[in-house]
Amino acid sequence: MKRRSPYPVIRFLLLALYLIAAIFPLYWIFITSLKGPKEIYTMPLQYLPNNPSLASYRKLFSFSNFSTYFRNSLVIALISSLLAMAVSIFSGFSLSRYPTKRTKGALQLVLYFTQTIPTFIIMVPIFTMFSRLGWVDRTAALMLVYVATVVAFSTIMSKGFFDRIPTSLEEAARIDGCSMFQSLWRVILPITRPGMAAIFCFAFINIWNELFLAVMLLMSNDKMTVPVALNSFISKAGISWDVMSAGIVIALLPTMIVFGFGQRYIVAGLTEGSVKG
Amino acid sequence: MKNRTPVLFTLVVVLLLLAPVFAAGTKEAAGPVTLTFVETMTSPSRTAQIEDLIAKYEALNPMVKINLVSPPYEQADNKLTLMLNSNQELDIVEVRDHTVKQFVNNKKLVDLTTYLAAWDEGDDLLPLTVTAANTVDNTPYLLPQFFFVKGLFVRTDVLAKYGFTTLPKTIDELYSMSKAITGKDRNQYGFGFRGKGSSFKISDILILSDVDNISVDNIYKTDDGRFAFSTPEARRAVAAYVDLYKHAVPADGVNWGFNEQVNAFISGSTPFLVQDPDTVGMVADALDPALYTVIPMPVGASGKTYLDYGFAGLGIPTTSKHPDLAWDFISFMVNAENNADFCKVYGPLPVHTSTYANDPYFSSGVYKSWETEMSDPDTYVFVKYPLDSPKYPGWAQVQEQTMQSLLLGNTTVDQAIKSWEDYWK
Amino acid sequence: MEKTHYRWMLVPTLLFLVLFIYVPVVRGGVMAFQHYNLFDLSTLRFNGVGNFISVITDKHISFAQILLNTAVWLIGSLTFQFILGFALALLLRKPFAGRGLYTAFVFYGWALSGFAIGLTWAWLFNGQAGLVNDLLIRLGVLDQPIGFLSNPRLAMMSVIIPNIWYGVPFFGIMLLAALQSVPNELYEAATLDGAATVRKFISVTVPYVKPTIVSTILLRTMWIVNFPDLIYAMTNGGPVNRTNILATQMINKVFKEYDYGQGSAIAVIIMLLLFVYAVLYLRIVEDSKEELL
Repeated sequence: MKRRSPYPVIRFLLLALYLIAAIFPLYWIFITSLKGPKEIYTMPLQYLPNNPSLASYRKLFSFSNFSTYFRNSLVIALISSLLAMAVSIFSGFSLSRYPTKRTKGALQLVLYFTQTIPTFIIMVPIFTMFSRLGWVDRTAALMLVYVATVVAFSTIMSKGFFDRIPTSLEEAARIDGCSMFQSLWRVILPITRPGMAAIFCFAFINIWNELFLAVMLLMSNDKMTVPVALNSFISKAGISWDVMSAGIVIALLPTMIVFGFGQRYIVAGLTEGSVKG
Repeated sequence: MKNRTPVLFTLVVVLLLLAPVFAAGTKEAAGPVTLTFVETMTSPSRTAQIEDLIAKYEALNPMVKINLVSPPYEQADNKLTLMLNSNQELDIVEVRDHTVKQFVNNKKLVDLTTYLAAWDEGDDLLPLTVTAANTVDNTPYLLPQFFFVKGLFVRTDVLAKYGFTTLPKTIDELYSMSKAITGKDRNQYGFGFRGKGSSFKISDILILSDVDNISVDNIYKTDDGRFAFSTPEARRAVAAYVDLYKHAVPADGVNWGFNEQVNAFISGSTPFLVQDPDTVGMVADALDPALYTVIPMPVGASGKTYLDYGFAGLGIPTTSKHPDLAWDFISFMVNAENNADFCKVYGPLPVHTSTYANDPYFSSGVYKSWETEMSDPDTYVFVKYPLDSPKYPGWAQVQEQTMQSLLLGNTTVDQAIKSWEDYWK
Repeated sequence: MEKTHYRWMLVPTLLFLVLFIYVPVVRGGVMAFQHYNLFDLSTLRFNGVGNFISVITDKHISFAQILLNTAVWLIGSLTFQFILGFALALLLRKPFAGRGLYTAFVFYGWALSGFAIGLTWAWLFNGQAGLVNDLLIRLGVLDQPIGFLSNPRLAMMSVIIPNIWYGVPFFGIMLLAALQSVPNELYEAATLDGAATVRKFISVTVPYVKPTIVSTILLRTMWIVNFPDLIYAMTNGGPVNRTNILATQMINKVFKEYDYGQGSAIAVIIMLLLFVYAVLYLRIVEDSKEELL
């Protein structure tokens, strides 16, 4: 008989070690959010709060309209990432099936090139353009820019998923009399649902955290998003770590929920998209 | 039938792209006039206070609505710049000492001379307020709302622990006390150092106060036109500053910004802190009042100390369609009563002479120190940074990197001074 | 007929990209060739490659140092993100009880915004009151706190560590997905052959996930080079310029000096370098190019 492999034990230890490394910054933020302002900076450092309280969270929601920002962010991130997902389903499918190789290559170059562009260089021209159009301080306009910032990567991913699906499937559907759109809708999309979930998650996380475009393109206090609100806890007189830490914890919830529920699909979806069949 | 789907689909997307157009709110034709006010020195508590003042103003003037825009502090100046340069219609803007020149150069601000002349509280303004208002081209392009002047925060409890009962009156004493307290093995240091993020605003006071004849118009020049750091006094003072870093500051100090500086003060690991009065609130939240005090900045070998007066105020952009109403709001916001209330919560120093005379708050407690600084012009000399120079915006980064290099021993005092002189040439 | 359909389906994405990315980027690119300083806009004029020369020959902020920093930042971050991400993916490949929860917790770092991570780690790495120093002293590893962010020799390492922490989840999840698509039959065949674990890994696993590795590394490179948030919050490029990368210097030029011309010039340099990198990279991994393009 074989000896028992030590692998499971090693694996357990490594995973535990990684968990600690991954989690301790969040632990510190979480603990800070439970401390009072006087406790935050005391030396020696306190790894557990003496009098844990939710005062920072109360302050966050009462004082700074955080629930409004949270709702705004949720709406903006949900709509933009759904839109990006919808748009990239079509472009990804098209790219995957595009008959002319040269055009296909050129188009993908266009997609990859967008990833080299620093946000700053587009920020000033976008502001000027929006200012001329009267689009500054319009949530809808910001959402369009957000779609544009994630749609290239979404398309790259989506093409990967469709590449995995043999063309014989749609061909069969076509013979049954489906139009191309019908076959995409009824036959192919259901199979790639996990992949679409993955695209949605990536887009959601990116948009949820975007700061600079929101700062520049929104004006009204009641339209602001969560990253802007978090950033406003930094003033000339430093960082208000009490509300800041509470804000970071709250801001993490939606992304963790999206991730927690979606990760099964994400991994499954990416599995399909990762390698060509 | 089949071929129409893609066309329809694209149409939907095009309509979507145009969504912002339809999302436009219909403009009210009649009703109150709306003024847009952009603040830049944003903090959540300050914004709440401004909102209170706005509510008060709107109650008095039912035909005016103020729309407050509060970008986060770190991006606010950039956002305002972008808004002004793309000619967004704004009515009241918060202008800072280092942005006023730029806005005036680009013809974005209205000259306030006639408004100020007609204002009944104009005579009550401090001479310093008038000087600050006239920073650019000797023309008032803004009405200052408050000043930031450095004071010395001291943890008296920590000093007492090491047997010090007197407080430093000269920079020399400050340095020697800081060094005496320092014991690296017991994690005790003397001075709350600033190594990044406009650190020159602190080091310049400590270094240049040794020089007798600094020009009040440009802190980097002497009265006889020399580069201030090239004087023998400044040379010695730079060396002493490096020595302070080596013997009274944690090595980490070169990377300290505001937060690290203040945290070290609150935790007691550095009992001396040079800061503006808007730090008072943060310190008071975290420390018992018995544990600390604020004293005027110690003087240098010249017997004086050169203080920068940071300020921000309100101006009217040239794009405003209602400059008269905008001024009406500004004069309300900055009247002696509202200005004093505003500064009490927010922290910095108010701009009216009467406030210091009538309101004991600004001449007692920790504010006593700033009152002293404001009322003894022979000892506390207010000097200007070369805000007019196109080189000023780049100075912070160059100074920060060259000073760090000097502190870490990569360059000598002479080399550092030479590079600063080169920069300003 | 077919082709028109495929073309129409591309229109929405291309519209978004052209209107909100490519048109602005061209307009922004033009600024790189203008004397465009907000300090005084009356001096606005075309100045050829003047901005590029000013940036590259800057006497006070060495451009060579910035390039070197960018390279170290990229290579340091990418290598460890990749190695640790791959290791994590391998460890997670076989299901175990609570794997879902574990993954959600381990990957949350990726769901934070860059500036929040920067602020948090700047605090953790504080040389006086930082958690990392405190822990190391309590554990007896150190007897004096270390200036993680102030010692020029440690500063780059100290900003790379949070970036690794931030980037591992992305590699982890991409590679985990790729690994799960390795058919079990392949493994079984290799086991029957008696292939040792390491050889099995190299001959079976790696080739199968190679396309994912190739595209993930390419994308990640672009993202790391364009990620100033962390450094900006932690060291602002210091001490002594040791952590100043192209992206942070660009921010300094734009946000601090209001010099849009020089800022755009740096942006153009970033795009050019990444473009050249992408072309060379794809040439080197020629055989995988098929999967990408």
